[in-house]
Amino acid sequence: MRLPRFFSKKRGHRRTGSEVWGSVGEALFHAALMVAGVAFGGLLVTGIAVPEWRINHDFIESRGTVVGKGLARRSTGGSAAAQASWQPSVRLRYPAGAEAAEAWAFDGPEEPDRARALERLDRVRLGEELPCWYDPARPAHVVISRGYNWWMWALTLLLPGALLAFGGAGLARSLGRWGRSEERQAATGHRPRDPLAEGAASTTGHPGIPSCEDLVNSPGTILRYRLPIESPESWNLLGLGLFAVLWNAVVALLAVNAGLDLLGGRIDWLLLAVLVPFAVVGVGGVVAFTRSLVLATAVGTTQLEISAHPLRPGGTYEALLAQGGTGAFRDLEMSLELEERATFRQGTDTRTDRLVVWRSPLGSWQGLQLSPGTRFEVRATIHVPAAAMHSFASEHNGVNWRIVIRGRPTRWPAFTRAFPVVVFPLSPGEPAA
Amino acid sequence: MTHLPDPIRQHPSVTVQFCSPDRRYEPLQSIAIRYTVDLPPGQVARAVERSIVWYTEGKGEEDIGVHTFERLTDRATAEATTGGFESRLPASPLSYEGVIVKIRWCVRVRLFFDAGRDFVSEHVFDLGRVPAAAFPGRS
Repeated sequence: MRLPRFFSKKRGHRRTGSEVWGSVGEALFHAALMVAGVAFGGLLVTGIAVPEWRINHDFIESRGTVVGKGLARRSTGGSAAAQASWQPSVRLRYPAGAEAAEAWAFDGPEEPDRARALERLDRVRLGEELPCWYDPARPAHVVISRGYNWWMWALTLLLPGALLAFGGAGLARSLGRWGRSEERQAATGHRPRDPLAEGAASTTGHPGIPSCEDLVNSPGTILRYRLPIESPESWNLLGLGLFAVLWNAVVALLAVNAGLDLLGGRIDWLLLAVLVPFAVVGVGGVVAFTRSLVLATAVGTTQLEISAHPLRPGGTYEALLAQGGTGAFRDLEMSLELEERATFRQGTDTRTDRLVVWRSPLGSWQGLQLSPGTRFEVRATIHVPAAAMHSFASEHNGVNWRIVIRGRPTRWPAFTRAFPVVVFPLSPGEPAA
Repeated sequence: MTHLPDPIRQHPSVTVQFCSPDRRYEPLQSIAIRYTVDLPPGQVARAVERSIVWYTEGKGEEDIGVHTFERLTDRATAEATTGGFESRLPASPLSYEGVIVKIRWCVRVRLFFDAGRDFVSEHVFDLGRVPAAAFPGRS
């Protein structure tokens, strides 16, 4: 017997699994999250909110005499690495209705430092009278302070609130799609969107064609537009920089703690054992970031200007390439490329494959010698084939046109810089541009 | 004209006729569809959805765009064995036969039966005249 598959999986051009079972599984998952949120929220409300509310509304005010005092010790963790905290406590004798009651009450928050807890306890004198509030249902339960801890409320409600919101929204989405065909979901906007997909906004009147507003908002110095660069290297550089800063901040904190211990005459071997590999990784992060930064900036900037945008099939356009920097280049190449992009799930990963399916060389220059203050400038002619596919972008797929510059400096590694362009289709009856 | 063969007649079949015999259309051109539904004995459709959509095929997850969508739920229309609809096609996206990305246009007629069962019939056509992409490295 074959069990139904809950989640569909893409295998080449076909998809396995059942959409119905997938929807059932998804709805059950979100319903479970909602139930967990309700249960967790209920526990927190009954464990924290209700007792606090009762103290502030139901407890009866009285005055108690301090007949004893002491420190309550609370230990967390195992016996070897137990962390203790201390809370001043007072024993009160107070009238509870017609009878006298006597019980311990905590005085203020816990202290990790025993000396400070003792200091607070010393301020309370035996025989002193304090206002207190006792539970009418259980007179032996008494408190000497009231009020609401709003931070505690916010923090404790955060997790159940998130579970309820995520589960509820997912369940509503699943129910909204229930029994609806793929076309109906897409037509009514109920089709789920992949948060990790790249999809771009379409141009008005041209479904599926990415907007080129961001490509025409920068005027060129000689030609009409200066094209923005598509640079995944910049994101890598930013990521490496953030990693180096955050990691080394942690290392610095550990190092300060270790230094304070050493100054106090103590050596925390465990802390030192952690600190050494952390420091090695931190230094590695700085080296990697510095190397990437040098490579990204040493070659010099590449700028590309174009005479018109968006491009049309059959159109001929002028481009101006400007390469800055210093030193010698073995060669510099410019080409027009058509790249297909496909984003797909593989297990729990989301992967994107890119494939250049068409390339047309626009120019190649050898033996360049660049000097500071000047830049290498060259004009090239771009011809878009008359039968060219237009640019296309959907949530998981794309057909992207771009002008690519490849350079091989003599002293630095080779680099590739891409400048996206948008190709629109010809309107019916419109002659090739 | 498309006919889905069904020799044992357990499933419905939908025959679709395009106004352009070669099923090739230009952007912004009008398209007219006639369809005939052939149901097995005893089966009655309680709703019909007819749509013109594009979708992607290939290595990536499937994306879909709906150009026209119509859901007919009144009993008389749903039970009718013939029907038709017209639309003006959009300017894009054009049909594309890429290497890892393909864009297809199609007419879909989806029949809904009792107990949540449905049957979809898909009929592909071309929008535009973009040649198939060459294999990588060929220009």
